Amino acid sequence: MRGHGFLLAGYVPGRSMVHRAPLWAKFLLVLLCGVGSWLVSDWAVSAAALALLSAVFLASGAGIRRLATAVRPVLPILALVGAFQWWQLGGPTAARIVLNVLVCVVAASIVTATTPVRELLDGAASLARPLERFGADPERFALTIAIMVRSIPFIAGAFADVRDSARARGLERNPRALVLPVFITTVAFARQTGEALAARGLGDADAG
Amino acid sequence: MSIILDRPAVRIDVDGRAEPKTLLDLPALTLAEHRIGVIGANGSGKSTLLRLLNGLVLPTAGRVTVGGLDTGREVRAVRRRVGFVFTDPLSQLVMPTPREDVELSLRRLVRNGAERRARAEAVLDRFGLLGLADQSVYELSGGERQLAALAAVLAVEPEILVLDEPSTLLDLRNRELLRTTLAGLGQQVVLSTHDLEIAADMDRVLVIDAGTVVFDGAAPEAVACYRALCGMPARP
Repeated sequence: MRGHGFLLAGYVPGRSMVHRAPLWAKFLLVLLCGVGSWLVSDWAVSAAALALLSAVFLASGAGIRRLATAVRPVLPILALVGAFQWWQLGGPTAARIVLNVLVCVVAASIVTATTPVRELLDGAASLARPLERFGADPERFALTIAIMVRSIPFIAGAFADVRDSARARGLERNPRALVLPVFITTVAFARQTGEALAARGLGDADAG
Repeated sequence: MSIILDRPAVRIDVDGRAEPKTLLDLPALTLAEHRIGVIGANGSGKSTLLRLLNGLVLPTAGRVTVGGLDTGREVRAVRRRVGFVFTDPLSQLVMPTPREDVELSLRRLVRNGAERRARAEAVLDRFGLLGLADQSVYELSGGERQLAALAAVLAVEPEILVLDEPSTLLDLRNRELLRTTLAGLGQQVVLSTHDLEIAADMDRVLVIDAGTVVFDGAAPEAVACYRALCGMPARP
């Protein structure tokens, strides 16, 4: 199984101000950027916000390459969206939309690059804690997110493996030869993960 | 603590067959030795036997108890006592790094974050993994991954450790590392293996064939029985 090239959540260890900032402050930053992207109407403001956030990101010492890795996957889609909006609504609006999305991506990357997954889980668990009185289990909530983060790279890796073996058999043009094996691999992985979690007693309701 | 198998059988219904298929049909067994091996051909029922021991598979007839606890009714208590290590550590390691995976094991046991961190470091240190604690599990070698899985399971201090073909994906060096690590454990160990040298380390070895025990006794005789079963000449 490969999939290592696809690992998300690239935490970069460090002791910068950004690393030491409380998690709620980083969450708040993401929330503000998300809400802000609906409210801002001037692309210059978006550009300033992007510059500021990029500066914060670089101040954490995570490096320009980590920033590029975060932004690169959304660029093709942004190019399409930007071109379409330019044609429909003109340059300033297109710039605003593209910049706003980038602002959100960089803000989210600040959180993942400077927060270990363990702390994110603790954060998610405490976020779900108020729902405890309605029968929610915060630990289980955090565990679900952890497994989701861990499984996306696996599925991406499974796709790469299956594509290689399909190519080796000259079947790369057959969508069934690609989709079906990935589907089966994924279900098998889910079952194995479930079995491993059960064996470790994780995800049980609190045993006390 | 001993594991008592009271004539458990595992049968499943198969489409298009009137009779259910028997995966495993065992005699009454008491597993109390410190080191117990299970050997046998592919598909003979080794994994099913091991999965009976922590309630991942429930017997359709008979029962299995661990220290007096029934694996069906008291499955949570059983799983706290019986740690289980799978063949492929990647399917077992849920978190991105060994440190986070060990801490995940400890979440329910140790609520305090700082204390949990310290406990996890102690466990990783014991297995010589502290230097690799923050590496991605994908970047570890097969042996290191298996050790990380072992550390995550042993962090919660089970009394019995069950391992399903733990050396299958390991090279020689890593297999030796696993062997010495297992030899140093205080826990009772039950493992299945195709590796006859590992089987030879065991105090008692069960040979499984077609879902039942065909030999039960000391390692050298068990290995000879297994070789005969596979149509191999006895060792010169």
